[in-house]
Amino acid sequence: MKKYFIIPTVIIISILSWVGCTDFPIDEDGLLITTRAQCYVSNFELLGVDYQTVRTASAVIDTTAQTINVNVFYGTDLKNLWPQFSLVTDAKLDPKITSFTDFSDLANPKQWTVISGNRKVRKTYTVFVTVQQKP
Amino acid sequence: MLHKYYSLILVLLLAVFITACQEEEYSLPTAESGLQNDCIKRTLGPNMVGMNIEFAYAMALLPSEGKIVSAQVEATIAGATGTYLENKSYYTNSSGQDVGIAIGDASVTTGTKTVVTFTKDTCAATLRYYYRIPEEARGKSVDFIFSAKASNGQTVSYEMGSYNIAKMDMKLDLLAKDGAACYISITDMAVYDAAGAAANAAKIDLVYLHRLISGITFSHALVSPANTEYLPGITLPSGVSNSSKEIKAWNLRDQQLARLQYGIFIDDVDFQQIDFTNAPNYAINMKAESGLWVETTDGKYRAYIFVNKVDDTKKEMTLSIKRLQVK
Repeated sequence: MKKYFIIPTVIIISILSWVGCTDFPIDEDGLLITTRAQCYVSNFELLGVDYQTVRTASAVIDTTAQTINVNVFYGTDLKNLWPQFSLVTDAKLDPKITSFTDFSDLANPKQWTVISGNRKVRKTYTVFVTVQQKP
Repeated sequence: MLHKYYSLILVLLLAVFITACQEEEYSLPTAESGLQNDCIKRTLGPNMVGMNIEFAYAMALLPSEGKIVSAQVEATIAGATGTYLENKSYYTNSSGQDVGIAIGDASVTTGTKTVVTFTKDTCAATLRYYYRIPEEARGKSVDFIFSAKASNGQTVSYEMGSYNIAKMDMKLDLLAKDGAACYISITDMAVYDAAGAAANAAKIDLVYLHRLISGITFSHALVSPANTEYLPGITLPSGVSNSSKEIKAWNLRDQQLARLQYGIFIDDVDFQQIDFTNAPNYAINMKAESGLWVETTDGKYRAYIFVNKVDDTKKEMTLSIKRLQVK
């Protein structure tokens, strides 16, 4: 009688172990390393200290030139802006954005690197901020 | 062997099902003998000087045991003028209105004690107590002992607290008008016109203005006098030159400032924790129901200004302020 329980249990555990061992590996951030090689920014948002957008229009993302051009309202406090990147599936951003970022040095635009899902492709995007001018 | 365990489990499951299906018959609760009491605090949010803390104190005994002769509240710090215990017991009518029935004389407050002496033959009442927070309670905590006395000699009491009294101040519905009373003082929590601003130049922290400038969004603004770039067309009164730090906020509709349905409260700790490093000294394009954290030039005061209302035509802003002295 016992063998009816022991044999299926051993089989189930073996299947689970095998499935577990063939899963995708994870990187240093605990994120899955997948087979995807795509590496680009799909959307970009810029928020002020009140967590409201400061863009006057949608950001222009050039995935070939790896640039993001964004125009912000007159009077925007450039020292305290929170950029938000939307990336292609499985990609990640370096450095990570954990607080408000200072964009006030317009001559030295900020850069972020997008890393593909397979962690083999890296593309550095430059964010150019322009401020709406008073006529 | 296995069959034995299965049978045992089946019996247990059956027992569980039977218990679950058994209906419990409702029976009317029996009122306890003796004088009973209970109390709830009705007000929410930080307790501030000048405001009320409201309680509802209920007391009752069986009709056969006697009637209530008095109710009393004792606070650890005497309440300010306006502290009272209602002499009416309320019930809610079919229209949802609270209807009060006088049960005794108006309350008498002597020092820390407020007493209502019952004149009606009643064995149950719920009285509301309004404690007007006095200046001497600022930054301290206050406790209350509610008590009731019955004609049969029984007494009962209920302790409430401790309640911390905030250090901050609040001022509601100040009206700022572009080109007139547009100089805002956090120190005084007041709005001045040009003459008043000249007389209180060192205390002027913000200037309110409204501009419609084609090509940009400026609208309603609260700008430090020091930042003239965002004060187009403004000639500041002599000596008005402070540079206060400002942080814009949205979706922070403090219940006490906004008096809207949002259950958000700004308390002393919020002023202590906010970081004004790198904060600018201007805020433009302010909208109704937005807010502004402000730190005065000398760092003595921190405030939160809530914009209750803006009027584009009249070029006006109605604002309410909570302020804490941090230095």
